[in-house]
Amino acid sequence: MESVKEPLPVPMMTLLTREFWESAKKGKLVFQHCSKCDLLQAYPKPCCSECGSETLSWKELSGEGTVYSFTIPRQVVDNSPAFKEQLPFVVAVVQLKEGPRLITNIVDVPPEEVKIGMEVRATFEDVSPEIALPKFRPVHPLSKR
Amino acid sequence: MAWSLRGKIAVIGHGETKVDRDKQGNLSIEQYLVKAANLAMESAGLTKKDFNDQGIGLMEPQQVYPMWSAQMIQDLGLHPRIVMRSDHGGAGPGYLLEQAAAAIQAGLVDKVLCIGADAPLTYVPQTMTQRLVLDFIRPFGMMGANSLFALIAQRYIHQYGVTPEQVARIPVTQRYHATLNPLAYFDQPISVQDYLNSRLISDPVRLLDCCLPVNGGLAFIVTTAEKARDLTDRPVYLLGSGACYNYQHGDRLAPDVTYMGTMKAGKEAFQKAGITQVSDVSFLQLYDDYSYAVMIQLEDLGFCKKGEAGRMLEQKDISFAGELPVNTGGGQLSSGQAGMAGGFHFIVEAIRQLRGEGGKRQVKGARVGLVSLIGAITQYAGNLINSNVCILGKEVP
Repeated sequence: MESVKEPLPVPMMTLLTREFWESAKKGKLVFQHCSKCDLLQAYPKPCCSECGSETLSWKELSGEGTVYSFTIPRQVVDNSPAFKEQLPFVVAVVQLKEGPRLITNIVDVPPEEVKIGMEVRATFEDVSPEIALPKFRPVHPLSKR
Repeated sequence: MAWSLRGKIAVIGHGETKVDRDKQGNLSIEQYLVKAANLAMESAGLTKKDFNDQGIGLMEPQQVYPMWSAQMIQDLGLHPRIVMRSDHGGAGPGYLLEQAAAAIQAGLVDKVLCIGADAPLTYVPQTMTQRLVLDFIRPFGMMGANSLFALIAQRYIHQYGVTPEQVARIPVTQRYHATLNPLAYFDQPISVQDYLNSRLISDPVRLLDCCLPVNGGLAFIVTTAEKARDLTDRPVYLLGSGACYNYQHGDRLAPDVTYMGTMKAGKEAFQKAGITQVSDVSFLQLYDDYSYAVMIQLEDLGFCKKGEAGRMLEQKDISFAGELPVNTGGGQLSSGQAGMAGGFHFIVEAIRQLRGEGGKRQVKGARVGLVSLIGAITQYAGNLINSNVCILGKEVP
């Protein structure tokens, strides 16, 4: 029996998330901004999670932040088997300079060199003709091995 | 001010099926459910007929079906007055207990049968439809709860400097308890070295930090204290309960993920129970999807200061015979997690201990038991969403 290879998961654009992904494709990290209470929130939500307002606009972020926490998955669970070939890699929560946090990957660095507090900057990785994922790489070059 | 419900509600029966890791599905979710319900009714000396026009509280299994409760009451052949359903993950059974108490207090019913069963090993996980998970979490290689909890654990270690040897005390002690619990899945002890040697699943979470999925069913029965005394000579009283949902500690945008809503839920439960000193608690049953969750709950409930759980574990014996017994039935790390019904283990074990049915692992002189449940590791880059704490007592102090 021939097994069908499952691809890596690619986000789908919805009316709610289109601006986020279209911006990411252009190399920009944008978050929803509430014009009523000034909240900036990670991942697009149907309303402002602080005041409840549905009047939200988009604001571009600097893409600068620090590693708040991270993990190195060693086995695939609840995700595409296609990730097996990519293990180990770094899944992280990045604390952005402007306040919110983002679930992302830390790239261009050996996983064992990633540390909490490490300064990182956004980089965008194409995963389909429409979608680029916002990932982060260390700001300061690490010691060459 | 004392809680008006303090000591007015009691738990009178409990049931727990044997668990297994059978992948063939010899027993279905419905079969575990019926077995658990029957065991609970039997232990309370009640029959199905006693639940006509009464309450049913159902924990939703992991296998998605929009009308589980309708099928379940049909399978059981029950004709209830109210049907409650929980999708609160690990915190669900605590939620059901509290809702049962409220429904009884409101005069809707005077008995509620709370049941949970799941058989996660027998079915293929269904297609995920949540766009948040599909678009903003999975594409980055998040490996389910293991990685989501690892992000909390890594931060916890960073802030408080806990060592793997300290963490090991939890799985090692719980495994010892499992060897004394005939219903637990694991029956062989493990050592600290076994823990240190166990492979990393998602750093820093190791295999022996993770709960073990099993198929099984559990249940308990809630009624008024008055009725409980008619039905049994060993009622277990609800002294206080507390809950908290979607808690964020500190900064609104950047909360400290080493705190859970358990802090708030615990305070409420203690206050309602009229307990001012944690030393009045005889034992703790703390939800253990991962070892680190037990440490965070010990701190949030006030059994030590934030970040001190590791050091406390070096000093205090958390075995059933020690000064601070924790997870005397083995917890989900060693007894097994019956899918979405996993939280029932902690309430059922608390009932057993307070009824003096702990067998070889009986906590001597157990009078007050605290159950802390957490559920839904779905808060984006945060901690768990649902927290529930209930305090049970052998008598009303």
